[in-house]
Amino acid sequence: MADEFIKGLGILTGGGLLWMVLSGWYTTPGFEDTQLVGEIPEGLGAYGEAAIALRAGLFWFIILGVLTFWVLIPAFKQLREAST
Amino acid sequence: MADDQSQTDESGEAQTDGGTGIVPPDDETPTWSERKERRQGLSRLTYEYFERSRREDQDLRQESSYVERDVLAFPTWPHEMIRNLSLTSFFVGMIVFLSATLPPHLGPPADPSSTPAIILPDWYLYWSFGLLKLGPLNPELAILGGEKLFADRTYGVLANVVVVGFIAIVPFLNKGSARRPVEQPFWASVGVSGVVFAFTISVLSVKNIISDLIDPHLLFDLTFLLPIVAGAVSYAVLKSMQEGYMYDLNRRYYRLRPPK
Repeated sequence: MADEFIKGLGILTGGGLLWMVLSGWYTTPGFEDTQLVGEIPEGLGAYGEAAIALRAGLFWFIILGVLTFWVLIPAFKQLREAST
Repeated sequence: MADDQSQTDESGEAQTDGGTGIVPPDDETPTWSERKERRQGLSRLTYEYFERSRREDQDLRQESSYVERDVLAFPTWPHEMIRNLSLTSFFVGMIVFLSATLPPHLGPPADPSSTPAIILPDWYLYWSFGLLKLGPLNPELAILGGEKLFADRTYGVLANVVVVGFIAIVPFLNKGSARRPVEQPFWASVGVSGVVFAFTISVLSVKNIISDLIDPHLLFDLTFLLPIVAGAVSYAVLKSMQEGYMYDLNRRYYRLRPPK
């Protein structure tokens, strides 16, 4: 159980850190403006588009990873223990 | 086993643990009838929680090959030092990483000739700033012909002295022997109301900014009512949890074993 917890926490914090950095680079119009969740700017280069794709991927990686390790896997374990 | 009864250690005291160092349940362990009394509601839930953690700890001790020693800690070098260096490296690396990837915003230089519309201290001093806004509590004394004894600003500064003084006195009133809030519900609820008051007085300090969200007079009343309500609720909850919490058993169980 503790192993699953630290895997989920690692995904949440590590993925969240990278997501925060990319969001700070690309979707933060200004310090006194919307931060981290601003509009995706137009006319990004190839690197920018790749970073935006990576940001979206990290977002879902965090959601699905945390769900998997904190909810699904423990639930399956409980079910298997209950059935045996 | 009969052998265990006859064994003694150096001090001549009877050794009943079979040389394993595992302390068996003693007469403070509740009987089955005592356990069955806690059959409903929050006290039952609390009881099950603590009983389960106690049982897990007992099982872990029984199946472990750990030999209890006279040493109560690890040496500074290398054990503690290696751990501290790795923690320090992690946080220094995190600071370097964040300052390299997300450098802080540098605003325009401050203009000393104009006063900003909103003046606020840093957020962690809002509570102190809020204490300066306690003017309505400053009594107008009849003996002074309706005059106030202090100016409102003096009153606010004295309120800081009262709050800091109370925080300084608390450790002398309660020595902190409780390991967890359920052991001393009163002092835990004092702490809860203090934390809630720190929050509400902080909100009061920005009352002119959030006046369209909440009426300032209502906010002023809530500032002092909410801590009392939160303290009373937490006292009631902890007091009802205490029924299911075997205070003496857990106090004995978690006490640090002194060196021989």
